[in-house]
Amino acid sequence: MRRAAAVSAALAAPADALAQSPAPASATPPSDSSTTATEALTGGRAGSDFMVDTIKALGFEYICANPGSSFRGLHESVINYGANEKPELITCMHEESAIAMAHGYFKIEGKPLAVMAHGTVGLQHASMAIYNAWCDRVPVYLLLGNTLDATMRAPGVEWVHSVQDAAAMVRDYTKWDDTPMSLAHFGESAVRAYKIAMTPPYGPVVIVADSELQERPIEEHHGVLRVPQLTLAAPPQGDSSAVAEAAKLLVAAESPLLIADRLARTPAGLARLIELAELLQAAVISTQPNTLPPIAAGRMNFPNRHPLNQTLRGVAAIAAADVIVGLEIANIYGAMHIFRDQLERTSQPATKTGVKVITITAGDLNVKANYQDFQRYAETDLTIAADGEATLPALIEAVKRLMTPDRRRAFEARGAKLADASRAVLDRARTDAGYAWDASPISTARLAAELWQQIRTEDWSLVNGNLSGWPLRLWNFEKHHQYIGVSGGSGIGYGAPASIGAALANRKYGRLSVNIQNDGDLMYAPGVLWTAAHSKIPLLTVLHNNRSYHEETMHLQRMGNRRNRGVDRAHIGNEIDNPAIDYAKFAQSMGWYAEGPIADSKDLGRSLARAIAAVKRGQPALVDVVTQPR
Amino acid sequence: MTTTRVLLLVAAITTIGRVMLAAQTQPQPTPPAAAASSIERGRLGFVRVGCAQCHGREAQGSPTTGPRLGPNGLAYQAFARYVRAPRLQMPPYTEKILPDAELADLYAFVQSRPKSATPPPLQ
Repeated sequence: MRRAAAVSAALAAPADALAQSPAPASATPPSDSSTTATEALTGGRAGSDFMVDTIKALGFEYICANPGSSFRGLHESVINYGANEKPELITCMHEESAIAMAHGYFKIEGKPLAVMAHGTVGLQHASMAIYNAWCDRVPVYLLLGNTLDATMRAPGVEWVHSVQDAAAMVRDYTKWDDTPMSLAHFGESAVRAYKIAMTPPYGPVVIVADSELQERPIEEHHGVLRVPQLTLAAPPQGDSSAVAEAAKLLVAAESPLLIADRLARTPAGLARLIELAELLQAAVISTQPNTLPPIAAGRMNFPNRHPLNQTLRGVAAIAAADVIVGLEIANIYGAMHIFRDQLERTSQPATKTGVKVITITAGDLNVKANYQDFQRYAETDLTIAADGEATLPALIEAVKRLMTPDRRRAFEARGAKLADASRAVLDRARTDAGYAWDASPISTARLAAELWQQIRTEDWSLVNGNLSGWPLRLWNFEKHHQYIGVSGGSGIGYGAPASIGAALANRKYGRLSVNIQNDGDLMYAPGVLWTAAHSKIPLLTVLHNNRSYHEETMHLQRMGNRRNRGVDRAHIGNEIDNPAIDYAKFAQSMGWYAEGPIADSKDLGRSLARAIAAVKRGQPALVDVVTQPR
Repeated sequence: MTTTRVLLLVAAITTIGRVMLAAQTQPQPTPPAAAASSIERGRLGFVRVGCAQCHGREAQGSPTTGPRLGPNGLAYQAFARYVRAPRLQMPPYTEKILPDAELADLYAFVQSRPKSATPPPLQ
């Protein structure tokens, strides 16, 4: 409840006025100019109607919000003037959930989803999720309510919920913001914000929708109102001479390696990387969580079973490379070094002497100082500040121009060796999965294998979770929507809402969205489960329930042993047990189909099948699986 | 909030894994037959001293945190040497927090683990 200011104003109003219309919180008090019979208490179109015109023109399908009085005008315009269609309002129970839903939605749909929030407390709730989106280069379009004119604020809460510069709090990790002072200004800034958000490198944007602009009758605003035309910027391509130099190095290389991180913004990026890799018969590392190199990021850049995919033997591939190309990689330093976390923390090169390093990333075009998501400085031989996906066609053509029959023969021999190596690591992964096959709690490998058996014939989309890297080893990833990466900022609480946002986007394509959900992550803002049920978003959530903040348990072990105190008490502050949470009942109470806890692997397949059947009926479903720690 | 730090562990795993793989491909001295009581003490110790957190309760390993330790893992001397002075991310275990006798029990436990079952085909 954030309507305290409006409620207090209503209580102060005369009973007859209250019966006609709730007193607006920003209205001039009767004591200043007494109410007369001629005072207009109702009006026609309001400023927020024009805001909705603008939002509709930008093509938003949905707008997520936890309700708040500072954007009540806009809220009303969305559902009545806008008929609650394109955008349709999605009721959220936390602003962090709203932003994370937008985050996941974008990575499937390729278009932003809008979010409304209070400029103060709402944005404070939303801030961690905005940081995730920033680190993950995802455009989230945020509209903040605020009352800038102090004389228009209702006494009490409305003052507490007002701010001079609403966007300041997140300016370190948003790409652009503005506080429009007129509706015409709003129109221009709203369109500009969309354009900026959608120009690589993508990023979140904020527009402050002042409550007076929202609530005043539209006639009071100066000038002719029209929504400006949106023209998206073509993404920046690499400098032609730099691209030619990169091609020269690649064609001459004996062991070229392509490392792709957030490369494939669209399915075209995946196709282009395949084309370049096959042309060169080059090794590819397409980062996914918990693989080598140690980079927490990724998009679906390259099929995991492609013979040139060397992700599972990444250390060997990096050590062998004489030319490395980092494609939209956020942490090229981390990819090329082995970090050691002992009493003295050290980094050692993982590459061989003389390796040539090339980076192509739009990340170089938008760096800020305060938050350190830009990672450690890496020494490179050629840096191309441009969008990777947009630059690949020129690089491919440049490589083709340099190809000779001799080089082509050498490439084919190289490709055959890489295919053998790739096949060997995949075979070994399958053998490894068989250890502890019947263990209880259930092994993460068994869970991944059982889940794969249930979904492999479906049009599936893994929208969150990595299950200790087993899906990468045991599943067959081929399509762009089958993997959408991770949170970006490693801010916990991303998984559940982002997967629901991605499932919302997948719904109209009839895909089976799969979320492998960590238990600790779910409990940050679990009200998003209700949102999924309420909005009828089909999603299979499989709980990887190790009953702990397990990562931190391992860190505590490291500290305890380093200090010769042992690990016996490392569970304190980290376990989520005693009592164990009954996630199935919890999900059922919010309208989900749910089963569990499942601790016996023999029960797993049937339970997953029943849950998938519920998802196919249009219901979100959860299976709580008690797992090994990792 | 430390997914990145998880990933840092992976580098260690691969190196350890390589050592283990090398050990598995060479003839290993036959470990002395372990008493059932030692295996049982090792099973309990494997959880108590935290090995299971990274390597799994059956020492089956995890791609992200710790390699498989048995069966047919490192020879005892190499196993013990790594536990006392890990080269990469693994926390060091001194004799104060893991006496030699307990370390031997842990080894008996990991060596007694069953071989890999055959998982379903991966179409």
